[in-house]
Amino acid sequence: MELLVFLIAFPIVAAALLLCVRNDIGRGAITCVSAGVIACASIVLAVEHLGTEGVYFDAASEYIDYLCTLISSICVVIIIAFSLKYKRLLAGVLAALQIGAVFVVEFGFAHEMEVPQGLYIDSFSILMALIIGIIGSGICVYALGYMKDFQHHEPEDAKDRRPVFFALMFIFLSAMFAIVFSNNMSWIFTAWEVTTLCSFLLIGYTKTDEAIANAFRQIVMNLLGGIAFIFALFYCALELKTFSFVEFIATGITSPDLVLIPVILLAFAGITKAAQMPFQTWLLGAMVAPTPTSALLHSSTMVKAGVFLLVKLAPCFLVSPVPSIMVMLVGAITFLLCSFMAISQTNAKRVLAYSTIANLGLITACAGVGSPEAVWAAIFLILFHAIAKSLLFLCVGTAEHHIGSRDIEDMDLLFERMPRLARFMMLGIMCMFIAPFGMLIAKWATLVSFADMDQIALILILAFGSAATFMFWAKWLGKLAGIAGSPENVETTVHKSEWAALVLMAALLIVCCVLIPYISWGIVIPYEVSVYGLAVQDISNDNLWLASICVFVVVIALFTGIGRSKAKKVDIYLSGINIDDDTRTFRNSLSGETQAIVRNWYMESLFGESKIAPIGVIFNSVIMVAALVLALCGLTLI
Amino acid sequence: MQIMDILIVLGGSVAFAILAPIIGCLLAGIDRVISARMQGRVGPPLLQPYYDVRKLFAKEKVTVNSVQDVYVICALIFAILAGGIFFTGGNLLMCVFVITLSSLFFIIAAYSSRSPYAEVGAARETIQVMSYEPMVLIFAVAFYMATTFISPEGIPGSFNVSEIFSLDMPVIGPMVLVFLGLLFILTIKLRKSPFDLSMSHHAHQEIVRGMTTEMSGSTLALVEITHWCENVLFLGWIAIFFVWSNPVSIALAIVVALLVYFLEIFIDNNFARVKWQFMFKSAWIVALVCGGVNLAVLAFL
Amino acid sequence: MGYSSKSPWVIHYDGSSCNGCDIEVLATLCPGFDGERFGVINTGNPKHADIFLVTGSVNEQNIDVVKEIYEQMVEPKVVVACGICACSGGIFHDCYNVIGGVDKAIPVDVYAPGCAVRPEALIDAIVKGIAVLDQKAAELKAAK
Repeated sequence: MELLVFLIAFPIVAAALLLCVRNDIGRGAITCVSAGVIACASIVLAVEHLGTEGVYFDAASEYIDYLCTLISSICVVIIIAFSLKYKRLLAGVLAALQIGAVFVVEFGFAHEMEVPQGLYIDSFSILMALIIGIIGSGICVYALGYMKDFQHHEPEDAKDRRPVFFALMFIFLSAMFAIVFSNNMSWIFTAWEVTTLCSFLLIGYTKTDEAIANAFRQIVMNLLGGIAFIFALFYCALELKTFSFVEFIATGITSPDLVLIPVILLAFAGITKAAQMPFQTWLLGAMVAPTPTSALLHSSTMVKAGVFLLVKLAPCFLVSPVPSIMVMLVGAITFLLCSFMAISQTNAKRVLAYSTIANLGLITACAGVGSPEAVWAAIFLILFHAIAKSLLFLCVGTAEHHIGSRDIEDMDLLFERMPRLARFMMLGIMCMFIAPFGMLIAKWATLVSFADMDQIALILILAFGSAATFMFWAKWLGKLAGIAGSPENVETTVHKSEWAALVLMAALLIVCCVLIPYISWGIVIPYEVSVYGLAVQDISNDNLWLASICVFVVVIALFTGIGRSKAKKVDIYLSGINIDDDTRTFRNSLSGETQAIVRNWYMESLFGESKIAPIGVIFNSVIMVAALVLALCGLTLI
Repeated sequence: MQIMDILIVLGGSVAFAILAPIIGCLLAGIDRVISARMQGRVGPPLLQPYYDVRKLFAKEKVTVNSVQDVYVICALIFAILAGGIFFTGGNLLMCVFVITLSSLFFIIAAYSSRSPYAEVGAARETIQVMSYEPMVLIFAVAFYMATTFISPEGIPGSFNVSEIFSLDMPVIGPMVLVFLGLLFILTIKLRKSPFDLSMSHHAHQEIVRGMTTEMSGSTLALVEITHWCENVLFLGWIAIFFVWSNPVSIALAIVVALLVYFLEIFIDNNFARVKWQFMFKSAWIVALVCGGVNLAVLAFL
Repeated sequence: MGYSSKSPWVIHYDGSSCNGCDIEVLATLCPGFDGERFGVINTGNPKHADIFLVTGSVNEQNIDVVKEIYEQMVEPKVVVACGICACSGGIFHDCYNVIGGVDKAIPVDVYAPGCAVRPEALIDAIVKGIAVLDQKAAELKAAK
């Protein structure tokens, strides 16, 4: 238990220190040491509790409850202050509404609510802790080098606000730890709000008009989710007389009707946080932030909090059709449509964002299905998505600073301009969409779990969505793979801290892909057992090992054996007399010079955002409203 | 136990690596002879594809970059592994995923050259993969559901191809629509006209030679061998629709696979190449209609 | 006999000509003469071709193109000059811009005269060409 408290509290200490220290060296030292400590602590925690089916710790105090209320109030005050400053009243109004509800819950009921066991740890929280502790702090280390370059690109007189940036990153980690370790739902809520606020401040970090607008879009959408969360708490206080999350889920399994409304509300909160359609715009808007922010939001924090909550609720969905169908459809449609829209994007970060939303959609759909097999798949999706996405974001961030663009078309020849980086990026991309890497193994399990549950619509959506996924990743991969003469290597100026983070992510990725059977055995199966009482896994271990062997072959092909071909080098064929291979210019039939330019396909006419986004927004909104109405009707009927 | 299973698959892959090129080569030879006859020609000898490949291996080794060969070899390795998985009765989905990995390596190989023609070919191949992938995945899932459907009460279905030998009737019964859908996209997978957009057989040149524009000599020979292995695997997919516990059914399945191959040759010789829009839309509509209806029937009956 | 001779893939380039030979080359590959009987295939890509069939003469404008295609072909390779223009410049030999036969640009292995060159003659030339191809393949193998 001390370790849990340490993991929640330590990042705050680090944040406070970082806020005070203003020089580069001090910041670097504190960040690296804290990141190392957090990572080690989470590993120790995992080793100590490996294979656990859930341990609950006595932790309850009125003071913590008051502290939570205080933190919530501070969050709201900050939000209201910003909304007044930038004249965005909606955010302020929502925040005020929320704090009102918080006060009602806190002072009206909270003292009656005894949650003696406020902290817990089960195998799922171990996995999340590892993701937050290793990947999250890895991103913080990466940010050191990145933010140095970032500050360098800013105007001379710009104020150096990096202390705030780093402090926010660490607070973010602390809040995430609180979410995955707390059993008291009002504590979870407080941490939930802290993540909302942190991402608000991080998205608005650059203070450009675009950043401010997107930050407010984020806060409005997530406040909606927060309000749904607090109403769920309100309902729990009234009907269930407890804030214990584990008891809540147990009630959800035994008597689903009793908790129908709060389950739907919590699912709604999870959906907003996981940026499912119609709320996908906040995550897309979050792209304006410095890249480490995006990496953090996409991989280990924020959106993962949303799917964490949904996966936790999965056993409730299994027995309760209304929220199950809502979550399933919202997730599946988001997966399908966002995969389509990713095809039409040229901006690398936007492709990543759409792919994140799509994969979160898949996790959401798995949670909605709720069977143990689906949860197995969902947890692996969370794990591999976190690793691969952080690797990809960090790669794109570094590439952006060195080639001056985040457009995929400009990444032509990256394989030679930044050979190591391009290979890391290729590895990350492959992990996202192709067997034998983790994401596809998880997708495979998803497909089987859908088939087991006879979810025809989901099977079809997954089949078509995966095909679209292949398209947008493969063409990006192809762009990276291009090789010509010998352009200048611009990789030498990449910061050491960036390399460290990149190598860490790549190594994690390979290790996790190879060791899937062990992860399944050590972490995911124990969680299944603790929740469902049975250990099932849709892919047999021999197939998993076969996949591991394939991973080995691919990694070897990617990182070695390259550049050793003894064959004679020749020019490419250009249907003319070659002048220059790098620029692909040739002498044409009129003795003039022609340049061949090849761009990837973006199929705007079929998969344009303007065509597809409205469908998902309308459809998913209707589904969620319908689910809520149905639940309310059901309530009145009872 | 697990190690045994993996060894069986790897052993099967080795056997496949030896047998599939032989069978695939003969099939390619038959294809060229039949095509020639359909066009009123005598055509080349049956072993012409073999001569071609032997000649390609004898050519000087040249390459446009240092990695293309590596990628092509990977494509071949994974095509062989997919065949090994399939013909040792392994997991059908695994087979599908590994063959997709093989296609991906081939696509990267083409992209890596940065030749405009190869890149256009690779982009088209990506679209081809996107076009056929849904139907292939649906095929695997439908196979699983059909085995559940046919198996005696209480015994769950399986993705394992070996499952068909324990069934009392072939899976074609409950999977007729999926079979038809698979036939449709088989034309794309076998690189036959009207869907040979990314690279085509010799007589149907387009965008120079598409994906293989920058591949010559032994690299091209490996591509050809990969293609043979793939063809054998895809015909295997067709064949399993007609196999059940009766050993005679294997003969039936081979006959059907050959008939389907003939049908593809017939289609190849009778249709002009279409645009990608038509290929993409028609393939997805077929997958949605055939696959969706068939899956619904399997799930709800 | 090596495998090179069983699978001579050709590429065809038409220089300065009246297009008569050009049409005859294509006729050779059409069903009537069915070049594929001998494994002959018309490729559109010099990197895949073994035999370079050039019709028409070489002039100032196309000499670099002929050289480029020849350069891009992979060893072993054979050049067949098809028709009298390709052999010597033919009736165009004293045009202001014509340089002469193909051998002014690249080494020619087989000359197939005729105006226009007949498909029978062409097939004959290709058969002569594959003998050279085999010989070159053997030399390449020995050099390895």
